[in-house]
Amino acid sequence: MTQARFDMPTQVRAGEVFKLRLLVQHPMETGYLLDLNNRRIARNVINDLRCTYLGQEVLRIEPSSGLSANPYVEFFLRATQSGEIAVDWVDDRGERGQVRRTLTVV
Amino acid sequence: MAAGVTWALGGLPPAQAQGMVSGKLLGLREMLDPIVAGALVVRTGVHIETVILADNGLSVPFRVWVDSPMTAQDHVTHLWLLSQRNPVTVMAKLHLGPHMGRAEFSTRLRLAGGQQLVALARLSSGEFRYELADLIVTEAGCVDGS
Amino acid sequence: MNHLETTPTGLARRDFLKVSATTAAGMSLGFFWPTQGDAAETPKLNAWIEIQADETVIIRYARAEMGQGSRTSAPMLVADELEADWKKVRIEYATAHENLRTKRAYGDMAAVGSRTIRNSQEYLRKAGATAREMLIAAAATQWGVPASECTAALGKVHHAASKRSLSYGKLAADAAKLEAPKEVKLKDPKDWKIIGKSLPRVDIPDIVTGKIRYGIDAQVPGMLYAAVAACPVFNGKVKSMDASKVENRRGIVKVLNLGEFVAVVANNWWRAKEALREVAIEWETGDNGQLNSAAIMASFKAGMGQAELAVARDDGNTVQALASADKVIEAEYYTPYLAHATMEPMVCTAWLQGDKLDVWTSTQNPEGTLAVSAATAGVAQDKVTVHPMQLGGGLGRKSPQDFTRQGVMIAKAMAGTPVKMVWSREEDIQHDLYRPASLVRFKGGMDKDGKLQALHIRVSAPSILATLLRLPLPKGVDGQAVASFNDHPYDIPHSLVDYAQRNTNVPVGFWRTVGHSQNPFMRECFIDELALSAGKDPLAFRLATLGQKSPRDVAILQAVAKAADWGGPLPKGVFRGIAETEGYGSYTACVCEVSVSDKGDVKIHRVVIGIDPGYAVNPDNIQAQLQGSVVHGLSAIFWGEMTVKDGRIEQSNFHDYRLMRLNEMPEVKTVVAPTGGFWGGVGEPTQAPLAPALCNAIFAASGKRVRSLPLKNHGLSLKA
Repeated sequence: MTQARFDMPTQVRAGEVFKLRLLVQHPMETGYLLDLNNRRIARNVINDLRCTYLGQEVLRIEPSSGLSANPYVEFFLRATQSGEIAVDWVDDRGERGQVRRTLTVV
Repeated sequence: MAAGVTWALGGLPPAQAQGMVSGKLLGLREMLDPIVAGALVVRTGVHIETVILADNGLSVPFRVWVDSPMTAQDHVTHLWLLSQRNPVTVMAKLHLGPHMGRAEFSTRLRLAGGQQLVALARLSSGEFRYELADLIVTEAGCVDGS
Repeated sequence: MNHLETTPTGLARRDFLKVSATTAAGMSLGFFWPTQGDAAETPKLNAWIEIQADETVIIRYARAEMGQGSRTSAPMLVADELEADWKKVRIEYATAHENLRTKRAYGDMAAVGSRTIRNSQEYLRKAGATAREMLIAAAATQWGVPASECTAALGKVHHAASKRSLSYGKLAADAAKLEAPKEVKLKDPKDWKIIGKSLPRVDIPDIVTGKIRYGIDAQVPGMLYAAVAACPVFNGKVKSMDASKVENRRGIVKVLNLGEFVAVVANNWWRAKEALREVAIEWETGDNGQLNSAAIMASFKAGMGQAELAVARDDGNTVQALASADKVIEAEYYTPYLAHATMEPMVCTAWLQGDKLDVWTSTQNPEGTLAVSAATAGVAQDKVTVHPMQLGGGLGRKSPQDFTRQGVMIAKAMAGTPVKMVWSREEDIQHDLYRPASLVRFKGGMDKDGKLQALHIRVSAPSILATLLRLPLPKGVDGQAVASFNDHPYDIPHSLVDYAQRNTNVPVGFWRTVGHSQNPFMRECFIDELALSAGKDPLAFRLATLGQKSPRDVAILQAVAKAADWGGPLPKGVFRGIAETEGYGSYTACVCEVSVSDKGDVKIHRVVIGIDPGYAVNPDNIQAQLQGSVVHGLSAIFWGEMTVKDGRIEQSNFHDYRLMRLNEMPEVKTVVAPTGGFWGGVGEPTQAPLAPALCNAIFAASGKRVRSLPLKNHGLSLKA
């Protein structure tokens, strides 16, 4: 389970467009570098990241090695109803991560 | 994120390709065609905010937004961040939808040297729009560029 | 314009730096020239040229001067097309912040890769030509004549038919209002009047009189000084620090633990440096404290035999050709890690005032300094001023910004106060970005006629691009590690060059001439081994093997051989060695004449060294680079070596990292042989052919084949 910092408002007005920010602790190994034993460090990047809101996928990102280590993503959602916001991701090794936050819409 | 400069839609001199940096520099069509398959691409309505000058390419702040009402009838469906020089051209592919309210995305890129970056958007109408940014990553070395 | 006159304490014998608080053009004039008038009034014909009413022509220089002379020769390119009077030219720096503000009107500002002249010559000449056309157009308009009837020369426009002339100073204001022509025709080289002349470098008088301002000479009112110590074991960090012994000492202002290094800030540098010695620092070194030279060599040898190799060149079928060759010659060569040891150590003066940052440093890469400084201080890039300074030597060390990052971290910790950080010589030698050590194995396949048919070169060495620059390498090849191997000019059917990337904890970087500084030594010595195995004269063998495909290599080789009278008589006991190589777009060759005593004293009677850079902008400058390369090169060849013990570099100062002495300098004959048609670099390639020419001569004189450097390890010493 990868570490992450997730920032979003917990309470917004209906119809408001709000910002979500996620910083995931992950090396995003490109597969081009060698370790100190001069063996290639295998490529391992987060290759799929999805945000669901009220059970529906609202954003999907497919990163490659082109995103920096400890990837940072910032995006927006329009608030409709109160409910759970979930972000899930998986890397090349199959390791998963997630954050969950309840959004209150007034 | 460090303060950036919003790029105007003016022409900018391309990043000088010094022979040392990895890979070859792709042309614009080489970057776009695998995705748009020859369809019309218009340079309008897409905006990039990033640094002009990066001291190294490991973590370069990048913001892109597309003019769009993001309604069910008219929204951005996909965004591609493309690199002219990286070993992997598609740095990220995004699937967006009207729930987002705003077609805007910020991240930090990893760049293999100075180059042009392209943000390519696909609208729900099927139309493609793009913008490009020229970025300098100051090279550190006495490399034989010949 | 406001000037801050500063008189530093204790330095009365030197002049002081005039720091201009504001200039209308947004540039800081960081050197000792009296300003003439307000910059806003001076007509700017383009980013590179301003012409004053008193006929002074200001030409901008956008790179960094570190003794290579481009601060003179780059403006010569502008001045020639401009048809300026060189006596009226004043050269001023373009700055990184101005480049940022103008969206890079000055282009690339890095002085690296021997490419200032060759990469900027076209746009600099165009700038001069464009301005010239605008001046002519302004005169033609004033006279009411066609511009085609006017000519320009020595700062004046002439209309021969009506015998009228107008000087640039009088035309500049009108010319600056005109739209620049889209197309300009550049002069044919035969029409050059300034380019090609051995004009004296503009900075020499100031260097000789002590007026020149190097990065280390920066003076800012209220400045404090910092001495620093980073972990002697590379990539280590501070575990704990006890400064109680020195914190309250007279003059000590603060002791900073900045994670990767410790800084003592004081009111003079000596106090800071002495106090630093008594700060008890415990370092976190991990496993890196085990590293030593033997382990590094073992790693390189393991690379020789590793299965995964990056292929840099593969012509024909080398493996098969070697298997069926009449004779196979095999040899292994090695060159060590080297420190840059610039005369001026790493320095950085920085002043953070709120969200504004000023930096004074010796840098080969002012844009890099700007970007790193902004990121380190956490300020916007357009709030950073990088003041241009002359470098007391660069040699490739001062392009990476590790030291400016340190300086700005200190300035951030001491926000509001300017702090000058200076590295001691020990810190400088032990925290370098060293030239990578390199182990190379050669296999040459000869046929029964003594012709070279196949060449297999395998390199086992660290990768600068992968470690320092963190670049992904296409096919795993670091071009620097295989330079002069993968691009060798010899016309042979089978060539295989492969590379095993063997990084160690010793940080590597760009030492002047980079891969071309050690690989030609190995290649050209091996070529001699091949020639001699076939009983051929080294020059004749090279000419035959170069064939028809590399005419410029042949030309410089012949030019230098002729200048050295190769094949001609020599005094008893004196022998010659030869080498040729290419790099940075130029072609170089060298002949050394030596005698070697039984005790191993090498007396160099003469070095004949030459270059074909395509065009020679300032021949005297190129001669100086050739001569300087001999100094720099001989120091490295005879004594240069970093050894590693307990994870740290053993060498620390010039007592164990010896440099050449004045009385040891041999006679040097230079050959500047531009053949035209291309633009090659000069700053670095001049070094390349020296080591092999010398070692080939040593073999001829003593029968001793040297396959590794430095020579001191072979009992060979330089005789004065």
